[in-house]
Amino acid sequence: MISALKNELESIFKDIQIFVPENSRLIISARGAMILTILNFLKDKGYDHLALISCTDWIEENEFELIYIISSYKADITPVGNKMPDEPVDQRAGVDNRLNIILKTRIPREDPRFITAIPVFENAEAYEREIHELFGIDFEGHPRLIPLFLEREYEIPPFRKDFDTRKYVKDFFDEIPFVENKEK
Amino acid sequence: MRELELYFGPQHLGMVGNFSITLKVEGDRILEATANPGYLHRGFEKLMELRTWIQNFPLVCRINVVEPDPMEMVYAMAVEKLANIEVPERAHYIRSVYLELSRVSSHLFGLWAYSNMLGFDTVAQWAMYHRDLILDLFEELTGGRVYHIYIWPGGVRRDFPEGFKDRIVNTLHSIGGCVPDYDSTFFNNRLFYDRAKDIGKITREDAKKLGAMGQVLRATGVKYDVRKVESYAAYDSIDWDVHTREDGDAYSRIWVIRNEMIESVHMIFKLLDAMPQGKAYSKVLNPFKWKIPKGEAYVRIESSRGELGLYMVSNGGDKPYRVNFRTPSYTHGLTILERLLKDASIADVGNIMISLYVVAPEIDR
Repeated sequence: MISALKNELESIFKDIQIFVPENSRLIISARGAMILTILNFLKDKGYDHLALISCTDWIEENEFELIYIISSYKADITPVGNKMPDEPVDQRAGVDNRLNIILKTRIPREDPRFITAIPVFENAEAYEREIHELFGIDFEGHPRLIPLFLEREYEIPPFRKDFDTRKYVKDFFDEIPFVENKEK
Repeated sequence: MRELELYFGPQHLGMVGNFSITLKVEGDRILEATANPGYLHRGFEKLMELRTWIQNFPLVCRINVVEPDPMEMVYAMAVEKLANIEVPERAHYIRSVYLELSRVSSHLFGLWAYSNMLGFDTVAQWAMYHRDLILDLFEELTGGRVYHIYIWPGGVRRDFPEGFKDRIVNTLHSIGGCVPDYDSTFFNNRLFYDRAKDIGKITREDAKKLGAMGQVLRATGVKYDVRKVESYAAYDSIDWDVHTREDGDAYSRIWVIRNEMIESVHMIFKLLDAMPQGKAYSKVLNPFKWKIPKGEAYVRIESSRGELGLYMVSNGGDKPYRVNFRTPSYTHGLTILERLLKDASIADVGNIMISLYVVAPEIDR
């Protein structure tokens, strides 16, 4: 089933790399412009659950990597209680519910902008807000990129690799207890 | 009528944990709700990048205070996957028993919060007492009552002590003997029905669209459980059932929790019967010298709140390069809570929030 999906993706989308590390995982690397199309395609295929949007700071390559993890809500097509599931059975065929698709794209660190995925998956809203706050990536079309966790503004967003945690503590709380005393 | 802004929490009796909601209200009807997490934000995921693989165990369990064990499990699973560490058969069974015990204790805690909020003080005290009995078991097994750090990459920290199986069975029997009392006082009580029926109702389509998992999804009739869908530990070696309800309201969610708790107890009995002999952990290298091979992994399990995932990246060093948790409360407590509070009345805020089973530290991480 995974190889069928892999072949289909490769035939429709040019220059994407697909990698199957194990039975239930599929890693797709694609260019930024194709992400929404691929997300839409996967959603139509029945992979309709966005589990997570994550971000990794690859500082040495001067890039951010955005990661979308997608799986399927298809669970059991036997009737629940005395009602049948809403979706017709044939639409759900061909979906592997163990599969987690890891869709990745890279964006330059100097220009951290990307398009929002809210039109495809509504729950992307909160994840994108978090990434905006912690990594400083702007999502175009996002309705409210307002603060989520943090109470103050940072020069460098705190989850970037070049954020110096020691310096931050020193600036705000004067000295680092234990560590500094030991060094003396 | 005049529009007002009302701050609900973090110091509020109807609020569990350090979390607040800003409500825009007209009379007692809510026009708009904005969830404000961040009161517990300590940047755990960032801290983990600065500590070695093994040093992170005391951190992961603190992400969810009520239920630290699935966090250990998911972290250990990710490390095992990246480093290709094998887990012995017996350890799989011990892990499953341990995780189910933790699920029962977490559901009892949830029942405490919910019944307390509704004013069923007696039921709340029972639930707290019964949870304490399970914490006694944890204390004997691991030395800690709340944070256990029991699951390690390669198995568990130690095997069950002698006679421990019997003590699990006895404890669960004594809790199970009280189920009729719980039912007659709470679950079959008309007051609970009147107070929870049709409150915080979410349709199956909306639940899927907004990324719901766990009992929020199962209460809408979707038979989805990661333990079944992508089985881990020893869950596929025993026979068990996923419980659902149809209506998607607070009443259904609490009933799903009740049925799940009873199913978990049956599962523990089956797992204990089928548990093989053997080692409880495989020999691994000195954890202080671990270097995990380069790579990335996404693992997921079913915590008592829904799908708990972990995306982990290693660059081949002695520390993780990136750790990101997919916690169930994140979607439930931000996206879905805000949606369900729209048009609800102020008196139902606590009801909706606690029935969604939101734990604030899981959102903040």
